[in-house]
Amino acid sequence: MIDPAFIQGLIKILFVVVVITAAYIISTRNLLSLVSVYALQSLSLVLIALALYSIEGAPVLLAIAAITFASKVLIIPYFIATIQEKVRIRRDIEFHFLSPTTSLIISMGLMLVIYIALSKILAGTHARESFLFFGAVLGISLMLMGMMVTFSRKRAITKVLGYLTMENGVLLFGLFVTELPFIIEFLIIIDLVIVVLLTTILTVGIDSTLEDYHKRLHRFHLWEEEERP
Amino acid sequence: MNGFLLYLVLNTLVVLAIAPLFVSLIKKVKARTQGRSGPSVFQTYYNLAKLLKKEVIYSPNSSRIMRVAPIVNMAALLVAALFVPLVFVPEPLGGIGNIILFLYLLALAKFFMALAGLDAGSSFGGMGSSREMSISAIIEPTTIIVFAALVFVFKSLNIFDMFATSAAAGTLATPVLILLGISLFIILIVETSRLPVDNPETHLELTMIHEGMILEQSGRNLALMELSAAVKLTLLMAILINLIVPFGLMTTFTLAGLLIAALLFVVKGSILAGIIGLFESSTAKMRFFRLPSLFAMAFFFSTLIIIIEVFA
Repeated sequence: MIDPAFIQGLIKILFVVVVITAAYIISTRNLLSLVSVYALQSLSLVLIALALYSIEGAPVLLAIAAITFASKVLIIPYFIATIQEKVRIRRDIEFHFLSPTTSLIISMGLMLVIYIALSKILAGTHARESFLFFGAVLGISLMLMGMMVTFSRKRAITKVLGYLTMENGVLLFGLFVTELPFIIEFLIIIDLVIVVLLTTILTVGIDSTLEDYHKRLHRFHLWEEEERP
Repeated sequence: MNGFLLYLVLNTLVVLAIAPLFVSLIKKVKARTQGRSGPSVFQTYYNLAKLLKKEVIYSPNSSRIMRVAPIVNMAALLVAALFVPLVFVPEPLGGIGNIILFLYLLALAKFFMALAGLDAGSSFGGMGSSREMSISAIIEPTTIIVFAALVFVFKSLNIFDMFATSAAAGTLATPVLILLGISLFIILIVETSRLPVDNPETHLELTMIHEGMILEQSGRNLALMELSAAVKLTLLMAILINLIVPFGLMTTFTLAGLLIAALLFVVKGSILAGIIGLFESSTAKMRFFRLPSLFAMAFFFSTLIIIIEVFA
């Protein structure tokens, strides 16, 4: 039997890993590392679920860990990496409304607001007292940070990554505060895989002649000429 | 009281003695990653010794500032060196160790370096000073926030007390310390003009910041400037090491403990120098206007620490 205090320390360190990866996903411009950082974030979620399992012993946690590992650490990053190879986009330097710096500062404010809001909402319940409360705060923050990535990035491929980050936030929140029914978790992940598959198909094209391929890329903002007048 | 005086003398001497070693170690690691064998680890000592023997030449346009700046710069950093115990933490005495004063001493040194850059009237020096000041204007708030986070975590404004707390706790890898470590590392990189911000190797007019400012210095003045940059690097490294991996740091004086602590410090410092070298080798220089996103990372993490410390 492993010491619960040790496990709690471990979970807190994993929280920090999640925060760091989220900050990186918001601010980086290098797409190649973006995917591996996303995989790392998912992996730390898997480890959090496993650590929780060793404390609480609910088998659903084990199932969530397994399915997250299979889908978000292996399959989805693999697909996105494949798309990147096909499209040959290496970096994403264009941002809509928010620059990375502003998004980081805003997400800081978001975390604070969520912390205060959640501590009022959950006041007096079991969840407020336990150390897992910070996990719930982090979960919702991660969700909103993912949303920010989705609307502040221009390329479709990074938008998808923002969406995936959002889902990681939902998962994190689900792990700590409510028990999401496993079937919902499962369906969400299937949705994710389909989203990524769709992106692959849209990006690469099912029946691509060369002209068609380029037109498609233009239409979905996956490829923009670097030197515009 | 006598013990404290002894500490003051010894700590300063050790900082001066060890600072060039770390600089050369970073160069050595960078050379190795590029497939070169690189200069010897004592090269910086040789360089300084050579420079000290050379004649000082002043530009006819330069004023008194040029003559004073290297000395003020070195003096400010040596006083700052008193604030950061490397291996032995005595009881703080008479305001020494105050973290705000420490930051102001660093800022004073930087200010005089920028003045000296402007003073000779060369355009490179002026560019260097202008860039350095623009970066400082952005990084200062971040530095303050990072050090404020330190104050919140260790519940003291005094660096000596912080080191004593961390040495007593001796814990590795608590969540807060990981975040602090990253923030301090970014501050270290920016304050010592290392790679994503400034390239310490080149003398290209387009990229240089720190090198631009000391371009007009020569002889022993240049040696003082180089040495003060090395001292600054060592001080920031010491803060990072003694707060994040404090094991071996000595709080009660014994001779054996002193030796072990000194040895451990050199080992830890060399490892950190290696990490800095690898980090520098793995990144390219950032564009000037991209730099705020690097600082924002440190700002974000430190603010997070403050939020955690205040609310949780």
